[in-house]
Amino acid sequence: MMIDYAWLIPVFPIIGFLIISLVPKKWLIWEGGAPYIIGMSTASFVLSILVIIDVLNGHTLTGPDSPRMTWLSAGSFELTFGIWIDQLTAVMLLVVSLVGTLVVIYSVGYMHGEGETKRRYYAEIALFIGVMFGLVLADNFVEMFIFWELVGLCSYLLIGFWKHKPSAASAAKRAFIVTRVGDIMLLSGLIILLRYVGTLDFSELFAEGSLEGSGMSSGMATLSMILLFGGAIGKSAQFPLHEWLPDAMEGPTTVSALIHAATMVKAGVYLVARSYPMLVQTPDALAFIAIIGGITALIAATNALVAVDIKRVLAYSTISQLGYMMLALGAGGLIITGLMHDGGHDGLGAGYSSGIFHMMNHAFFKALLFLAAGSVIHAVGTNDMLKMGGLGKTMKITSITMLIGSLSIAGIPPFSGFWSKDEVLASTFHAFEDAGSYSTVFLILWIMGVATAFMTAFYMFRMWFMTFTGKQRSDAHAHESPVSMTVPLMILASLAAVSGFAFFIGRGFFSFMSDSISSTIGSSVAVEAIHPLESLGEIFTSPLTYASLIVSAVGLFTAYSIYYKGAFSVSRLASGVTGKLQKLLAERYYISWFYDAFAYNIIYGISLVADIFDRYVIDGAINGMAWLSSKSGAFIRRSQTGQVQNYVAAIVIGGCLLLLFLIVFEWGEW
Amino acid sequence: MLEGAQSFAQDLLSGLPVLSIMIFLPLIGAILVFLAGRSMSIIRVISLIFSGIPLIFAVLLIFAFSWGAIPDGEAFADPQFYEEYEWIPSLGVSFAVGIDGISLPLLFITPLLTFVSILFSWDVDRRPREYFGLILLMQVGVTGVFVLLDYLVFYIFWEIVLIPMYFLIGIWGGPNKDYASIKFFIYTHVASLVMLLAIMAIYFNAGATTFNMMELGDAASGFTRGFQIIAFGALLFGFGVKMPMVPFHTWLPDAHVEAPTAGSVLLAGLLLKMGGYGLIRVAIPTLPEGASYLAPLMAVIGIVSILYAAVVCLAQKDLKKMVAYSSVSHMGFVMVGFATLSYVGIVAGVFVMFAHGLVTAVLFMTCGVVQHHCGTRMIPKLGGISEKMPKLATYMTAGFLASLGLPGLVMFAAEFMTFWAIFNNWGLWLLVPILSVAITAGYYLWALQRSMFGPLTDKIETENIHDANWYESAPMAILIALIALFGILPAIMIDRIGDAVTIILRAIGGG
Repeated sequence: MMIDYAWLIPVFPIIGFLIISLVPKKWLIWEGGAPYIIGMSTASFVLSILVIIDVLNGHTLTGPDSPRMTWLSAGSFELTFGIWIDQLTAVMLLVVSLVGTLVVIYSVGYMHGEGETKRRYYAEIALFIGVMFGLVLADNFVEMFIFWELVGLCSYLLIGFWKHKPSAASAAKRAFIVTRVGDIMLLSGLIILLRYVGTLDFSELFAEGSLEGSGMSSGMATLSMILLFGGAIGKSAQFPLHEWLPDAMEGPTTVSALIHAATMVKAGVYLVARSYPMLVQTPDALAFIAIIGGITALIAATNALVAVDIKRVLAYSTISQLGYMMLALGAGGLIITGLMHDGGHDGLGAGYSSGIFHMMNHAFFKALLFLAAGSVIHAVGTNDMLKMGGLGKTMKITSITMLIGSLSIAGIPPFSGFWSKDEVLASTFHAFEDAGSYSTVFLILWIMGVATAFMTAFYMFRMWFMTFTGKQRSDAHAHESPVSMTVPLMILASLAAVSGFAFFIGRGFFSFMSDSISSTIGSSVAVEAIHPLESLGEIFTSPLTYASLIVSAVGLFTAYSIYYKGAFSVSRLASGVTGKLQKLLAERYYISWFYDAFAYNIIYGISLVADIFDRYVIDGAINGMAWLSSKSGAFIRRSQTGQVQNYVAAIVIGGCLLLLFLIVFEWGEW
Repeated sequence: MLEGAQSFAQDLLSGLPVLSIMIFLPLIGAILVFLAGRSMSIIRVISLIFSGIPLIFAVLLIFAFSWGAIPDGEAFADPQFYEEYEWIPSLGVSFAVGIDGISLPLLFITPLLTFVSILFSWDVDRRPREYFGLILLMQVGVTGVFVLLDYLVFYIFWEIVLIPMYFLIGIWGGPNKDYASIKFFIYTHVASLVMLLAIMAIYFNAGATTFNMMELGDAASGFTRGFQIIAFGALLFGFGVKMPMVPFHTWLPDAHVEAPTAGSVLLAGLLLKMGGYGLIRVAIPTLPEGASYLAPLMAVIGIVSILYAAVVCLAQKDLKKMVAYSSVSHMGFVMVGFATLSYVGIVAGVFVMFAHGLVTAVLFMTCGVVQHHCGTRMIPKLGGISEKMPKLATYMTAGFLASLGLPGLVMFAAEFMTFWAIFNNWGLWLLVPILSVAITAGYYLWALQRSMFGPLTDKIETENIHDANWYESAPMAILIALIALFGILPAIMIDRIGDAVTIILRAIGGG
């Protein structure tokens, strides 16, 4: 079966990376070695599809008997490498391999003018894709953490790809350090787990009651899970560590597409989804995840309202959508926990599945939006939407594909985003009904989610109208992008349009996904999804659906009337309270400013003080001692009188003192 | 296949006094270099050969080393490749050498770092005979320290190391070399004397007739608690200065700033390890009660060193001084690992020493290349240098990433194990030292951003800057390959370290 060869999936791109890094320049054939990377990522894609087919047929690779090798063993712990494939892995493989391959193909056109540095670009992209595969295939948390960090490394290298640009070098550093703050939490959480459970293998950690059974107090278990989620806060750009992502736009747009759609930020969502069997043992941690997700979704959406950089709008929208995913995962988990105590219930996997579903759909429409934005930037040479406009005429393919992406993210049926976002909000609402002590919190979170839906529709169409309609505001001679760029756009647009139908094709996406937790959460909880067609009926009879649909439509219409019809001039809001609000949003709530000030004034300040302390106090004491001994040497020299009787006296007195000391302290006895 | 390699290597080495050869071959080399006359190329080739042959032996030793079965007995039971020759029978002094898992990794990096330092110093033309001769002499001393099993001879070799380093800094150093070299000498010499006093106290208190470490180690079980605490305190000071630990670290940045690159590589890569090695070879197994009494102090010193030095790194403007302080921070991990007095912690501490030796050598070499080619190492004067020196920028990035503990490179496994051991012993105190993970990333990446990336600087003449030469690139490339190898397969070393640690723990009655 192909699933046994799944370990080759990450190996292909990594071989591509090694080829490009190590072979002589003349062997690179064409475009800095792009053919190797296209070939390798296509190989991974094909193999991924074969593995996914295996998974669809009910084969998985989850358990202690899956192939593994020891990486490191020292006394009481052993760290291994192995492969873990279940339904969640399958979805991730699909997303990473498909988006990764399309991005590489698209790069041929996009990076055409880059010259010598293309080689480095393709090498780093290949490594990026390879280590992301490694991350999703890992069968234990150490292996996952290793690839997790390598994913961070690759995004550091690629965000800072144009290293002569000061802003790029700075953004790359910021991305790495901020995510590393999250990684500290993740690492701490893992160490706690390793200490108590004695292993970081999924197969043991995911057993029922694994945390309590290890002798952990419930407080320690919750702490370890919150720390684990801390890694996702950094990686998936959740509040309050979300500010690195908008800055990460400094890399090539292809890199942004990869980071936002398939690799980097999806790793955090994957981590949370992967940890589900443990998370359901700690309801407080789940509530924490949902709350952070809800706050992130709302805050990022408000920031997107005023952004004028096309990539920043998309970046904020990513943060916001990631917040949705976390919200759904947290809410879904809480529902499961609640029902674990109260007996069985249908549709238990709904929150979990809707989070993953949204992640998959988001991967397609966000990759599409970024690549389309890249196509626009490629054509007009700027990111500034104020300088765009009227591009719809010259860039038909780009504008239509981007429209599909925007409709999808805005949640307009039948595009993919509608289905998953509706389920995300529905799960949140169910958590309000079911989650016991947290129910009020979830009502607020649901309202925040609906508000976010409104804003999403508004800012996406604000972007679309500003870019493609109206008068052309720059004199750049825009033209449609080459085929290698438009073909990936069209493929992604079709996916963004139809991937939502996975919801009710066959036995339905939710039923499929639920398998991945029902096998690990334990038989006591029946995680069964509702029949897809039945749930389809439920969607369109539920008032909740219409609520979210209406707010999206209103958002879209508002953007239409302001930015297309010009019914209302935004410049009228530039003063007074609304002006202040606008400034607050444009300044990103001063969060970024705060971090900079904190890092520069507090941390760097402390380090300067420490440096001075080191030089003048510690070293000063040493130099002072040296000075003292040379001075005292000069002083003691005077005692060397040369008169024998003085010396004899000194010897006698000294001898007596020594004797006294030995008598009093009985040296050697104590 | 591995067993085949092991028996093959054992066959090759059988009957040879491997360790004595490894100690004295560089001495012959040093003498030949002094006699070699004025030809630069002859001097270099002799130096490379006489540091290279021990390197080949060291690689063979890694293969030939037996591990996995713990021999019965007390500390230092069955050191491998053991040799013993009587020297001063009346005092019970003999020349005894042997290795276990703790010596092995350090014994491997000793000829390795010497070899690459000599290669890196290919163009040193100022008094080359003395320069290369002293480097070889230092190899003699350091190799001896890591394999000798007799306290008195150990001390002699310990002191031998100081002299070449003193001259390397004092003759080939920077503008402030006199101050730095004397400070280095006095500071570490005072530490050595305190260590000697403690060793003497152990010798006399044991009523021993031998200086053999193994036999003294056996006798040590009769020591009183009070004596153990005092003697351990003295050894802790002696070795702590050497490592160096805050607050006795200030000789290190001064010495590094002035030392020539090869001197820095050997100083940070090997000489600092002598402190950590002494702690785990001499102090902890011989004075176990003292160790467990003072373990909290060691932990505090270690954690303070980790964080304090990392914070000071952030303020440095001189690349090399920053790297020097980062050594203090990393050696703090060694101290904390040992302070746990647990299997994982001690294995981790030894592995950190090994990893740091490889990584810090690359870092000092990159600083040396920058100094050499740009005429300055001051970060504010640099900027955008990667445009002129892409190869150097790659090596520096790789070195920095390795040093900040990126998985896949050698330091990660070491730090991970240390953190685990800290949590295992002291619970959530882990959250304090683990902060260094972010601070370390901060100072490295910030330095990289300011010196290598961004627009090309106009504060220095950049017209004639060219990339690293072959003899500068090759050593860094070799080391980075090893950093990746041991990062991907840390078990190669960690498995071999384990037995020795088990024996030490058995001696101190712990896990």
